[in-house]
Amino acid sequence: MTTRDPKRIAGLAVAAIVVGFLVVKAAGDLRQFVVVTLNGATLAALYFVVASGFTLIFGLMRVVNMAHGSLYLLGGYLALELQEAWFEDDTGLGLSLSGTSETEYGLAGWLIPLLVATLLIGLLGVAIQQVFLRWNQGQDLRQALITIALSVIIGDQMLARYGGISQDIATPASWPTSVLLPGDVRFGFFRGAIVLGSALLIGLALWLIIKRTRFGKIVRAGVDDRDMVSALGINVNLVFAGAFFLGAMLAGFGGVLGGTMLSLAPGQDTAFLLNSLIVVIIGGMGSLGGAAIGAIALGLVDAYADVYLTFGGTDLTNYSIIVTFALLVGVLAVRPLGLFGRPA
Amino acid sequence: MNPTVSTGRLAWPVLAVVVLLAALAPLIVEDFFLNVILTKALWLGVAAASLIFLAAYGGMVSLAQVGLYGVAGMTYANLVLADGGSAAAWNPWLALIGALVVATLVGLGFGWIAARSEGIYFLMITLAFSVLVFYFFSQVTTLSGFGGVNNVQLPGLLGSPEEDPLPRYFVTLVVAVGVFLLLSGLSRTAFGLGLQGVRDEPARMRALGFDVTLHRTLAFGIAAFIAGVAGVLSVWYNRRITPGSINLAQTIDILIIAVIGGLYRLEGAWVGALAYALIDNYSREWVPEVGSVLGPARFNTLIGVVFLVIVLLSPGGIVGIWDGVRASLRERRPSIRGGGASVEGT
Amino acid sequence: MLKGHRSWALVGVVAALALVGAGCGDDEEDSGGGGTSSSEESSGGGTIKIGFLSDCEGAFGSFFEPTISGANTALIKFAGAKPAGEKPSDGVTGAKIAGKDVEIVSYGCADDTADKAIEETRRLMEQEDADVMIGPLSGDEGIAVANYAKEHPDQTFVNGIAGAQDATLKVQAPNFFRFHPDGAQWSAGLGDYAYNDLGWKTAAIIGDDYSFPYTSLSGFVAEFCAIGGNVSKRIWAPLGEEDYSSYISQIPDNVDGLYVGIGGAGLINFVKQYQEQKGRVDTERMLGNVFWDDPLVLKEVGKSLVGGATAAMTAADSDEPAVKTYLKDLEDAYGKEIAGLGPSVFTYGYYTGMTALIKGLEAVNGDVSDQKKLQEALAGVTLSGEEAPWGDVKLDDNRQAISDVYVKKIVKDANGDGVPDVQTFRRIPEVDQTFNGVFSPDTPAPDRTNPKCVKGEPPPWVGNAEEVDFSSK
Repeated sequence: MTTRDPKRIAGLAVAAIVVGFLVVKAAGDLRQFVVVTLNGATLAALYFVVASGFTLIFGLMRVVNMAHGSLYLLGGYLALELQEAWFEDDTGLGLSLSGTSETEYGLAGWLIPLLVATLLIGLLGVAIQQVFLRWNQGQDLRQALITIALSVIIGDQMLARYGGISQDIATPASWPTSVLLPGDVRFGFFRGAIVLGSALLIGLALWLIIKRTRFGKIVRAGVDDRDMVSALGINVNLVFAGAFFLGAMLAGFGGVLGGTMLSLAPGQDTAFLLNSLIVVIIGGMGSLGGAAIGAIALGLVDAYADVYLTFGGTDLTNYSIIVTFALLVGVLAVRPLGLFGRPA
Repeated sequence: MNPTVSTGRLAWPVLAVVVLLAALAPLIVEDFFLNVILTKALWLGVAAASLIFLAAYGGMVSLAQVGLYGVAGMTYANLVLADGGSAAAWNPWLALIGALVVATLVGLGFGWIAARSEGIYFLMITLAFSVLVFYFFSQVTTLSGFGGVNNVQLPGLLGSPEEDPLPRYFVTLVVAVGVFLLLSGLSRTAFGLGLQGVRDEPARMRALGFDVTLHRTLAFGIAAFIAGVAGVLSVWYNRRITPGSINLAQTIDILIIAVIGGLYRLEGAWVGALAYALIDNYSREWVPEVGSVLGPARFNTLIGVVFLVIVLLSPGGIVGIWDGVRASLRERRPSIRGGGASVEGT
Repeated sequence: MLKGHRSWALVGVVAALALVGAGCGDDEEDSGGGGTSSSEESSGGGTIKIGFLSDCEGAFGSFFEPTISGANTALIKFAGAKPAGEKPSDGVTGAKIAGKDVEIVSYGCADDTADKAIEETRRLMEQEDADVMIGPLSGDEGIAVANYAKEHPDQTFVNGIAGAQDATLKVQAPNFFRFHPDGAQWSAGLGDYAYNDLGWKTAAIIGDDYSFPYTSLSGFVAEFCAIGGNVSKRIWAPLGEEDYSSYISQIPDNVDGLYVGIGGAGLINFVKQYQEQKGRVDTERMLGNVFWDDPLVLKEVGKSLVGGATAAMTAADSDEPAVKTYLKDLEDAYGKEIAGLGPSVFTYGYYTGMTALIKGLEAVNGDVSDQKKLQEALAGVTLSGEEAPWGDVKLDDNRQAISDVYVKKIVKDANGDGVPDVQTFRRIPEVDQTFNGVFSPDTPAPDRTNPKCVKGEPPPWVGNAEEVDFSSK
């Protein structure tokens, strides 16, 4: 692809227009622009955590885990249940009237449910892989259908067990709700520090694992040529199980983050599955860097479109979700495999 | 999960028997059953058939069919007299044509983008498309909004279905049979054969000079047309269309129907649709309560389990089970046509 | 494809059997999940068959059991029924109206979509042969059921708790009855309170972008603007949006107050993100819609709503004897947890609906063979006392309820159960659907920009609200 490729030129032109548009809007109200950008960045961080697990599983095993969103939500619900069961001060009369509004939680009250829930979801992921996916390796469509079936079942069972009302996971009382940044910008502490920080740490950790450890080497080799790896005598099944464990853990971890930053409710599973799909489609399946870029693209577009989709007098912010999908279609029209994707 | 697709000749006697039974159904069953089970199964089957056509003959499993039928249904609902939408008050038959044209054009356009992708990528892009259509109609209140379009005017031919469901039933039946014949006939044309070649060996087809992308795009357009037909039929059945009719759950349900029936056989569309309609309706009464895990409210768990079992055990769905039974029966009879499994007609 | 004589004969036989079997199975009169133990005869032969429709999936799936508890408690209280099990959906036994057995043919379960609601309605009315139906739950379902009712004049439909205005105002089905206020009526009194008591001259609105928030906010807009207020900005967040931050940042700083029409699902997110962006939730400048004091919502997010005001036709802190009896009846039947949800509009709507249905059936001596008589009787039913613990209910010409609405504040927990409490301070008498002509069959349905903010004749209850104080004892 030469630099004069028409698609590339068109892409750059569009990007230039968008950036110019944003600069104009930013100049109008800088404070709001900073807040909206931070919103987008923190959303992107959450999307990255969840999507990284999804792309890892696909990249190595060519498994589209359509139950990824269900694992996300289940992770959040498990952490919530653990938090209420182990750390609530008054035992209360039952789930509906005991009232958790006045209970305060210590740091352990958030971290331990986080760790346990993440671990449990990782194990569940391995179980799913061993029971349902191990024996039909290579049948992509069949595996996708199996995971769709699992997501339908798990989603309905979560509705039965946790109900339809939104709930959220409480943050430790010692953490401030928001912090005051320079320029009179107030931003949520949990979003800004914890979620953003976690995403950066996880990104770094994943990069180190993939690039520096033996496991990572095998994963990379397996992405390129599965049969060769197995021919070299490496226990491919163990590697797959490990990758699935890691991918599912990321979903669960994301669920706890999302359940604290946003909320837990039926429908969040499909919402985050779709988000992950969009992120990895944009970024390219199997590419961690692609997932980061895709997440940033989605998060920022989401946030900016919600606020800035006004042209003069017409307010089109209600159509922000459509813009998100237009982004997806636009990327695909130019790069059918995503920005950093490679053919299967 | 790729059992062989049938290219055998159409068994006219079987089709005749089934159509005859369907035609006589009003004499045997009650109006409720005719309406809620049979009519619904017929148009759901058409929707699933569009998916199966693409999957079986094009090798493309698409989740965009509900989005496309949503486009057609919403177009129809907006063009005729209704509560909500733009109520352009066209003649219903013209509106039908308009709806089909719009759905096919959208399908061709989207197909052109999606045709370059394969397999799992294709599945995901088409899923994104259906979700996009859902959000589009939810947000654009002049066309629908969340409340949707209610009280949609039906063509005069259908009469007043609440009082007499027969005309609507027969119209739907005729359309469904027509779709079945059209699609099975299509598979035997030059285009259809070319499409199957593209499905199996795209690289070789390209080497032979076939425009693979064009073939796929056209196939997608045809499937969009069929999905559009299903969409209009669904509006005639429900007399309304809301974003709730074309949400993600419905997208997954059409896929479930196609898989349960048999993803690689056109008949599977209607077999699956009938099974789904029966389970949906009767499970609310007959399912025992098992704690909070199972019960009348847990329809989704039930259909999910059925779906899972079918995918695990019989990739060819119910029709696949049927074929397997017949094949093993045939194996028991001494046969001059060598080999165990029958070669033709499976 | 299938070939061979034997195979197609086999297919034909199997298909025929399937059809006949299914058709035959259809003829049974079945009591389904949770019916009564009455004799299984066809309708008109001595059994009154009632169909019940609510949501067990979708956004309102949690309210399935509470809605059933409301309807069942009415049957227990006024028709001599007894609970058949621990859960409301286990059904009731022994219900009798005018000497005839009453059977709930099935507890229908929809998922907040109109299509599913109508399928369940068909199942109840056509397959199970119910004579009357109570339900549905959600707004869009209500409009669909009202339209269905219009096409089936020989059956009778009493609304559950669907709050869409159009279901009665525009559809006007002569056999569809709503014995509770609609979504717009639930906001009555808030405009007056905001303008005259809180001194708001300008307000902004933020809500979810779909029909229920449009409707509940429209009641506020109609009243507030009629008496001189100005709604300067309306912000609508797409339904299902998890992140309200960007929408919160659009709330103008220069308005006196904010009306929040975010549904139960998004309220947690909204409150959290508002707190993050603005430092605290300044509830003294906020009004909320009917979700704010729903017991389930209070438990989850109530602490952040303390100080805000809201309105609906129930008042959890009322000390009226009829209210106490109502709550006690719920507790006796289904325990403390369900009784705690008694003040929820979801429970109460089904309670008053079923009570009215019982009264109507009694007025025609349980005769469901001529539904016209039943419909005439229902149109004249009024509820009072223990039939409607929170205020008398009568119907207008559109078969839409006129009843009282209460304005309440959310306050800190005083009774020690850990959940913030409700303090009612005002009763708005006899709120009607039209808001003194602002809403009529010809006005556009509430949406993103309607009703427009215009000054005009205020509704009759402005300035006539009664101050109440349930805490003085």
